[in-house]
Amino acid sequence: MDELEIKKLWQTTNDKLEKSFVIDKKNTEEIARVKIYSILGSMKPIKVFALFVGILWVGIGGIALSSIYLNSFNDANKFFLFSASIQVGLTAISLYIYLYQLITIYQIDITEPIIRTQEKLSNLKISTLWVTRLLFLQLPVWTTFWWNETMLTDWGILQWIMTLFFTLSFIVIAIWLFFNIKYENRNKKWFQLIFSGKEWTPLMKSMELLEQVEEYKDHNAST
Amino acid sequence: MNEKEQKQHFQNIIEQHKGILHKVARAYCPNEDDRQDLIQEMMIQVWLSIHRYNNQFKISTWFYRISLNVAISFYRKNTTRANKYTELTEQLIETPVEDKSENERQLYLLDQFISELKEIDKALMILYLEDKSHTEIAEILGISVSNVGTKIGRIKDKLKTRFSQLKS
Repeated sequence: MDELEIKKLWQTTNDKLEKSFVIDKKNTEEIARVKIYSILGSMKPIKVFALFVGILWVGIGGIALSSIYLNSFNDANKFFLFSASIQVGLTAISLYIYLYQLITIYQIDITEPIIRTQEKLSNLKISTLWVTRLLFLQLPVWTTFWWNETMLTDWGILQWIMTLFFTLSFIVIAIWLFFNIKYENRNKKWFQLIFSGKEWTPLMKSMELLEQVEEYKDHNAST
Repeated sequence: MNEKEQKQHFQNIIEQHKGILHKVARAYCPNEDDRQDLIQEMMIQVWLSIHRYNNQFKISTWFYRISLNVAISFYRKNTTRANKYTELTEQLIETPVEDKSENERQLYLLDQFISELKEIDKALMILYLEDKSHTEIAEILGISVSNVGTKIGRIKDKLKTRFSQLKS
């Protein structure tokens, strides 16, 4: 079967199918009533809720911590204060990245060429990795929140070994993940283990698409 | 253009280019229910982008860009369902192929070949089968004309191999 026969086969089949494909006029009228989505309108309720909780957490946390720094720094438990500051700071950065993604995705022009649009969309989706990296970076502070000055005087060697072991392990894991969760490691087993599950499918798919985009672009650059 | 004229313009565009919606949806979405959702999403995006139409390009170029961009993005979100469906169809179709007429077998083979392609190759394949010029394909995909030629050459080779396997 040659090229022309294949094209003819495709075209005659589609011509037949298209004849039976009717666009309901009512449907197009309905669509023509659709207004440009608002960002919030296009988000799933659970994401709106998560965003709301995140803003609330950072807002209230920021106000409370600022008040401690300004009014009662000397009396405050420094372990708690510094741990909470790191946690709220990292959450604020994650929130900023998340909001930036939402706004940028919303502004992408779908009428642009396929390679450009898909590259932008995939890169944006992959920037979700930054949020994950920052969330992992918070891990160690969850082990130091409850530390206090009495530990220095009251604790025995065994308690110290246990506590430091957990905290140091979390620091090592968090820093390692922070530097290693990146697009280049997408084919590693540990990476796929972390990002397995339905909610990560679009992210993994974006990585595959970016590879395809690069194949097209690489060739483009070399010609 | 007032709102009424814009709506009329939208309906005319959809009616004239419904074939593109159908072909793209058929290539990217084997599942009939998902396909209806995909066509709906493409039409919504056409409506929302109508004010962005730039008349330096043909309307079909603009329409293809939207349809293919939506189909690729839709696929990204629906991979799990698509995978399940592909597995199922492969199981179902395996046995009766020999019973089909020559034409049906070739069509089945062509559909299967398209379904196995990666997303961007699939877009290229649709445009190639639609007999679009290399210049128009380059404008739709956003790559150079020479790159279009090379990529089409590779896909044609694969296609030839697949159909020669059928003969043998």
